[in-house]
Formats: sequence, structure tokens, C-alpha cells
Amino acid sequence: MVDVEVKRDRIIIRYKGKKWDWILEPRYWRNTLIWTAFLVLFPIVAYFVNPILLNTIISANLYAAIAIPLALMTVGTGRMNFGPNFFIGIGGYTAALLSIAYGWGPIATFPFAVVASLISALLFSPLVIVARGLYYVLLTLLLPLVFMEITFIYTDIFKGDVGLAGIQTLVHSGSVKLNFLLAAFISMFLMLFYLWVVNKVLKSRYGLIMAAINDGEEVAHGIGVNINKVKILAFVFASGMIGVIGWFYAHYFGTFAGITYLPLNFMIKILLVIFIGGRAQVFGCVAGGYFIAFLEMILIVTMGPIQPVVFAVILTVLLFALPEGLFGLYRKRRYREYMPTLHVRR
Amino acid sequence: MWETLEVVLIYSFVLGSIYLLISLGFSIICGVLRIFHLGYAYLFTLTVYLTWMFMKEFGLGLIPSLLGMVVVQFLISYAIYKGIIMKYVAREEIILTGLLLLSIVVEQAVNYRYPIQAGVFIQTTLIDGASEIGSAVISNQLIVGAVVALLLTVLFIFFFLKTRVGLAIRALSQDIYSSRLIGIHVEGLYTLTMFLILIPVIVGTLIVAPVWAVDPTMGSLYMTTAILVAILGGLGNIKGTIIASYLIGFTHSFVSFVLGEPRFMNFSALLLVIIILMVRPQGIAKSEALW
Repeated sequence: MVDVEVKRDRIIIRYKGKKWDWILEPRYWRNTLIWTAFLVLFPIVAYFVNPILLNTIISANLYAAIAIPLALMTVGTGRMNFGPNFFIGIGGYTAALLSIAYGWGPIATFPFAVVASLISALLFSPLVIVARGLYYVLLTLLLPLVFMEITFIYTDIFKGDVGLAGIQTLVHSGSVKLNFLLAAFISMFLMLFYLWVVNKVLKSRYGLIMAAINDGEEVAHGIGVNINKVKILAFVFASGMIGVIGWFYAHYFGTFAGITYLPLNFMIKILLVIFIGGRAQVFGCVAGGYFIAFLEMILIVTMGPIQPVVFAVILTVLLFALPEGLFGLYRKRRYREYMPTLHVRR
Repeated sequence: MWETLEVVLIYSFVLGSIYLLISLGFSIICGVLRIFHLGYAYLFTLTVYLTWMFMKEFGLGLIPSLLGMVVVQFLISYAIYKGIIMKYVAREEIILTGLLLLSIVVEQAVNYRYPIQAGVFIQTTLIDGASEIGSAVISNQLIVGAVVALLLTVLFIFFFLKTRVGLAIRALSQDIYSSRLIGIHVEGLYTLTMFLILIPVIVGTLIVAPVWAVDPTMGSLYMTTAILVAILGGLGNIKGTIIASYLIGFTHSFVSFVLGEPRFMNFSALLLVIIILMVRPQGIAKSEALW
């Protein structure tokens, strides 16, 4: 029998020994609501004021949507993955190849992109057990580079650096401007959904187990945590989520080339979203995603061909200047979140 | 059959020696400082492009340009050690990302100033032409590279095994706290190591530059090889690095000449690394010591 109990600050629902809380107290969701409203209004304002900004908003949402599961993976495996873009390649190429071969739209290719990402993640998941510390960093760093090489080897399938074209686009509203707005909302939904899911997971009992693994694998093992199971689950689940972003890229642009997403330049952008956003803090990933996407856009507009150099220099300075990232500035005033440690050498 | 085997063995030796030259610095820094120098790629790029810059922008000859390049490389290494490695030694993720970013800054800056169309070329050919060894035809420059690689490796081994400074560096690679206790000047030796790794990198790049492709992204390719060798060899162990270099050289030759698919070279090397890591997670040699 469902038992609903209404308290001053929350509604508690109980069913067969399980309990769900729905917090009503405004101070718990006020900030979340304000920021969500701001994010949702932003594309609408951009649509009327400067539609070019919509593309930057989409990039920002996607950077954040890659960084959020990567943060989960970092906490859950207790290791820093330096090649998350490998799964963007898997998801993107699966969607692109299926769309071109069978003329499938984004809805039809979606499950296949997810399954392909999950299977490839499962195949490489032993890495989180056998490869420790720096070995793991290096092997994950090499994975996307080798995948990129494969795309150059089999040019008949992947079309090398030209990439695959003719993929069914994400939305067809008849108006290019409106297409961009709809894509901005889909990317935002994806990002906010990831934020909600990952935040829920990290705050749940599993999140606690992951934090235990992140802080000390031996200790977590000692208190009875099946660390291998949790690490593989975190790796596979997060990789599947990252693969979805590859699917989005393929259908958003209508083209997909590994050379855009698999090299170090793209990977470093994602890592910087995590570091400059807030050292694997999920909310920091959103700040980091928006910061990096907008900084890149502003520099492209103002700097011209020297933009890649200036962009990299600014990010290098920020990496050293903000030890806890942008979210750290906020966290200094409101110290309440669990701050995961980023482990590389262990 | 015998001819193919002969070609595979000769190319395994030559490529393995060149890979050894490329990876030696990376392994030494892994072994001594216990960090991954993910900015290692920029060392190769700077070797070629700084020399070219001195020649083109300042009108210097090859030798003065090389000297200028060496001085600038030493200064940059010193600045990186003092400004990044020493300061953030406890924050590995910052060091790794920072060094990687630095390598991207160099790559982009070089690409901005000297894009691939600039046709950068430095004439460091020691012996022109090619020789026939058994059934294999091989560039003389690469043969010289292989010999130099072996000589340099022997010198490094001699330095680490037979000199007091080498002994101190080996002690440092094993335990930093005990090294401090017995009076080893840790910071000084770290700086020296940062300088030492420049030698194989500069020599290797100058030897292969006239034979292999030169472009602003060349460093990433060499760093990939260095990473594979370092992982396979057992992070920072020179013995392991030597064996791993030749193993990867053999894999590349085998894939190219027996399977006839040179496009699979890096892929096959990665597979080899993953398979060996499954069996020996610590790599070929134990990584607790430099030797």
C-alpha cells in the first residue's frame, strides 16, 4: 500500500519498504530553479536578439553534457579518464553510418548509438580494474587517437578527415532559425537530464559507495564494497551517456568526422570543462561548459586566426589560477557539497 | 620466407632503436619525477621549429641555430620545472592537463606562424642515400639514427650506473624522502633530469627530421610512441624501455612487411600493450626503479 506523509518541508512516499522524498522547502530548490529558468530563457532571448548565439549555447550544453557523466565516471572508478571522446566517436559513427545506410532518423538510430557505446564500454571496462593510475591515464588517452587512426585506415567506411555526410538532421521545422532553437532546447534537456540523474546517483547510497572507492579503494573493499562491480558500472553507464552526445553531434550537424572529436584538442576542452568548472563537481560542469564555449566563440569573433593560440593560453592560465574551478568560488561561501578527489597517480 | 624474416628483423632493429631514442626521455622523466610529461610532444616540435626560426628570422647558419634552439629548450624546460612541476607536484591532474595544454599552445603557435604550407625543412642529414642490408633497403640516415640511439642509451646507462650523480638520481627514483635524508639535492637533480631528457629528444628529432614528415603536429605522433613504450616497458624503467622499444619496432615491422598493412602499425602496437598489460599489469619491468 502506498503511504503518503506530508511534512513541513517535504512529502514522503512509502511503498513496500521503500521511501521517496520530495523536498518542498524553498531554500533547497530555489537556486536550482533560478538557474534552470535562466538557462531555459537564454536560448529564447538569443533567438530574438542574436540567433548566432544559439549555436554557442548548444556547444555549451553539449560540453557540459559530456563533462557531467565524466565526473560520475571519475568518482565511480577512482580514476581520471583522459579519453572520453572515444565514446563520442562510437556513438556518433554508429548513428551516422546507420542513418546514411538505411536513411534512419535520429529516433531510430538512438538505441543503436547507446547500445554500441555500452558494448564498447563493456569491452574496455577491464581497464578500470587492470590499469591503475598513470597506466589508466595513458591507455585512455590513446584510445581515441587509435580510433581516429582506424577512421583514416578504413576511409571507405568512415571517409577519413572528410567525414560522413548526409545524416538525417535532428529537427526539420522548415525554418533554420527555429531548428537551431529546438536543437538548443533538446541539448539543454539532455544536459539538465544528465545533471539531474548524475546528481541523484552521487547523492544516493551508490554515490556514497562511489565516494568511498574514490577516497580509498582498499578501504572500500575492506568495508565490503564490490569495487570491481561498481567501477565497471560507473564506467559503462557514464560511457553510454557520453555516446549519446556523439549521436547528438551526428544528427545536429548532419555530418560526422572523427577528426573533429577524437584528437587531443577536443579532449582537452572537455577536461578543462571539468577542471575550470569545478574539479568534477557536476554543477561546476555546467559553469565550465558555458564558460569555455562562450570564451571560444568570443575569441573566434575578435581574434581571427590567432584564436587557437590565445584560447589555449587563457585556459592554461585559468587552470593554474583557479585551483577549485569556477564552482570553487561559489563553494567557498557555501561549503556543503562532497568534493571528489581527482586521482591520477594512485 | 627467409627474405621477409630478414627484412622484418632489420627494420625491427632500426625502428626499435629510433623508438628508443624517442622514448628514452619520456621514460626517464617517468622514472625519476614519477610524473607523465604529457607536454613531451612540444619538445619535438620546438626542436625543428626553433631551429627553423633562428635560420629564417635571424638569418643564422645551421650550427648557430641549433645552439640557439638548445639554449631556448633548456630555458623552457627550466621554467616548466620551476613554474609547473615543482609547484603542483601533489596535484597530478593539474600537471598532466597543464603540460598537455602547454603542448597544444606550442602546436597552435607553431601552426599559426609556420603552417604546413611553409615547407619547413632542416638539413641535418648525416649520410645521404640508402643502403642494402641483406634483402632490406634502408635509409642511411635511419641506420645512423639506430647506431646513435644505441650509443646514447649505453651512455645513459653508464651515467646512471657508474657515476655518483647517476646513483643519486636512481636513489631519488626509488624514494624521495630517504634521498632527502641522506643529503641528496632533490630539486637540483630534478632540474638536471629535465635537462637530460632533452638530449635524446633533440638528437632523435634532428636525425629523423630529414627522413620523416615535419609538421606542427609531429610531436603528438612521437609522444604516442613514447607513451606506448613507457607503458609497455614499465613506467620509467630503462631496461623495460629498451625491450619495449624493440618489441614495438618488431610489431610495426611485422605488420608492415608480413601482413602488408602498414596502416595498422599504431593499432597493432596498442593491442600489444593492452595484451601485455592484461598479463603483467606493471609492464615488462618493475617500475619501482630506474634500472
